[in-house]
Amino acid sequence: MRREMSIEKRKKVYGYIFTSPFILGSLLFFAYPIIMSLVFSFSQYKNLANINEMKFIGLANYIEAFFVNVNFVPAFLTVIRDTLLNTPLIVLFSLFLAFCLNKEMRGRVVYRTLLFLPFILGSGLIFKYLMFTGDTETTMELINGIATPSVIQSMFGPKVSNLFSVFFSRITIVLWKSGLQILLFLSALQNISPSLYESAKCDSATEWEIFWHITIPMVSPMILINIVYTIIDSFSDVNNKVMLYFEQVAFSSLRFDFAAAMSWIYFLFIMLLISLVFLIMRRRVFYSAVVGKGGRR
Amino acid sequence: MKGSAISLKDNLSALRARKTFQRAVNIRSHIIRLFLHIFLIVVAFVFLYPFLYMMITSVKSESDLRNLSVVWIPTQLHWKNYVTAAAYLDIPVHLKNSLMITIFSTIGHILSASFIAYGLARFKFRGRTLMFCIVIFSIIVPPQLVLLPQYMMYSSMGMINTYFPIVLPTFFGYGLRGGLYIFLFRQAYLGMPTEIEDAAQVDGYGYLSIYWRIALPMMRPSIVVSCLVSIVWHWNDYFEPSVYLLQIHRLPLPSMLVTVFNGTRDVMDAILNDKLDMLVTDGVVMAAIVICILPVLLVFTFIQRGFVEGVERSGLVE
Repeated sequence: MRREMSIEKRKKVYGYIFTSPFILGSLLFFAYPIIMSLVFSFSQYKNLANINEMKFIGLANYIEAFFVNVNFVPAFLTVIRDTLLNTPLIVLFSLFLAFCLNKEMRGRVVYRTLLFLPFILGSGLIFKYLMFTGDTETTMELINGIATPSVIQSMFGPKVSNLFSVFFSRITIVLWKSGLQILLFLSALQNISPSLYESAKCDSATEWEIFWHITIPMVSPMILINIVYTIIDSFSDVNNKVMLYFEQVAFSSLRFDFAAAMSWIYFLFIMLLISLVFLIMRRRVFYSAVVGKGGRR
Repeated sequence: MKGSAISLKDNLSALRARKTFQRAVNIRSHIIRLFLHIFLIVVAFVFLYPFLYMMITSVKSESDLRNLSVVWIPTQLHWKNYVTAAAYLDIPVHLKNSLMITIFSTIGHILSASFIAYGLARFKFRGRTLMFCIVIFSIIVPPQLVLLPQYMMYSSMGMINTYFPIVLPTFFGYGLRGGLYIFLFRQAYLGMPTEIEDAAQVDGYGYLSIYWRIALPMMRPSIVVSCLVSIVWHWNDYFEPSVYLLQIHRLPLPSMLVTVFNGTRDVMDAILNDKLDMLVTDGVVMAAIVICILPVLLVFTFIQRGFVEGVERSGLVE
C-alpha cells in the first residue's frame, strides 16, 4: 500500500519535471505580456513615448468595440462565417489527400513535394507580395490556378459563371490552406502499425471496413488537432478582415489600448469555440494510451 | 474415374473463375490507381502553376516582360536577373542569419515540445488540464496582441538586435506557435500504446531515460513533421525579425525581399544614379523569391524522405 502511494507520488513529481520548461517559459515569456495587454485593454494612455502613464477607464474600450465602432462587428461576423465554412472542407480534403499520398504508387515523392509547395510559398512575405502587389487579376488567377473558363461565361451568363468562380475560389483557398493538415494526417497514417491492418485483413475485412474501423479511430487524435489548428489559423490569418483592422488600429491610429480590447473579445470568442470543439470531440477521439482515467486501455 | 474427371473439370472452372476474378480485381485497382493519378495531377497542377510562372518570369529579360506574346517560353534565358537579385539580397550574410535562426529554433521546438508533451501525456498531476489549456491558449493569442509588452520586456532585458527573442522561447515550448508542437506530440503520445514503456519501467529504467531512449525514437513521424513545419515557418517568418532585429545586417534572408520590392524600377533614375545593374524588373523580383525559397524547398524534399511507411515499432503482440 505504501509502495503504491510512493509510485503515485513519484509519477506526480515526474509530471512536474517534464513540464517544468513550460512552466518556466510561461512565467518568463508569456505571463507578463498577457497581463500587460489585459491592463492595456482596460486603460487609456496619453502618448506612446511614456507608456507607463496610463489611466484606468474600465470597460470603455470594450463598449466602444461593440456599440460605437462600426467596423469591428461586421468584420468579425465575416471571419466567423469563413471559418465555419472552410474548416470542415479543409479537414476532410486534407484527410482524403493524405490518404491518397500514403498509398504505395509511382511518383509519390514528387506528388508530396508538389502538394507542399503552397505550404512553403504560402506563408511569409512571398505570399503577401503575390497577394497585394502587382496586377491583381493575374495574381488572383495565379492563386486560383484556374480562372473561370470563358466558355462557361458565354454559355450560362454572368450569374452562373460568378457562382462558378466563387465555388472555384473557395476550393482553391481550401487547397492553399491545407498544407500543414495534410502533413499532420500523413504522419498519423504512418504511425499506424501495419500489424493492425494485417490482422484486419486476416479477418477478411474489406477496405471500407478497415478505413472506418482502423484508420479513422487511429487518426482521430490528429483530426482533433487539425480542427483546432484550422480554426485558429483561420482566425489569426494576417490577411483576414479583423486582423487587418487590428493592424490598422494599432499601428496606423496608434491606439494600442483599443486594439488590445478588441483582440481580447476576439480571442475569448476563439477560446469558447475551441472549448466547444474539445467538448464535442471528447468522446469521439480514440487514444491507445489512456493515463489516469480509471486504469489504462 | 468419372468422379475424378468431374472434379478435375470443376477444379479447372474454379481456377478459371478465380483467374477472371483476380483479373477483375486487378483491373479495378488499376482503374482506381489511374483516377488517383489524375486527381493528384490536377491538384498538383493548381499548385505548380504559380510556381512555374515564378520560375519562368525569373529568367525573362526586360523586353520579354514587356512583350505580351511571350508568356511561357522566354526568347532567351536572362540569368542576369539572378545576379541583380543576389546583389540586393546580400546572400552570404543573410543566409547565415537565416540558418542560425532556423536551425536553433527548430532544435528548440522539437526538444522542448517532445519533452513537455511527454509529461502532459503520460503523467497525472494536479494542474495538468490547466497546463494543457495554457498550451492551447498560447497558440490562440494573436501575436499582435502581445507585441508591445513583449517588445518592452525584451528591450528591458537588453535582447533587442540579438536572436534571443526569437530563439530562446522555443526551448521553453513557446516561440513561433510553439504550443502547436506540444499539442502535436501530446496527441501522438496518447495515440501510442504504453506497453513497451511499462516493460522498460519494470526493467528498472527511469522515466527520463524511458523518454529519451524509447518514447522519443518511436515518435519519428511526429519529429519529421514538426521539423518540416518549424523550418518552413521560421524561414518564412518576417514578423518577429522585423520587430526584434533593427539592424539590416542581422535580418534573415527572406526579410531582405523588401529591399528588392522597394528597389528602383525607374530606368531613368537608374541611369542617372549609375545603377543600371540594380534596376528591378518583375524578373528580378521573381529571381529573388526563387533564391529565398530554394534552400527550404531542398531541405523539405530531403527531410520528407523521413516519412517511411510501415515502421514496425516493436515485436509487440497486441
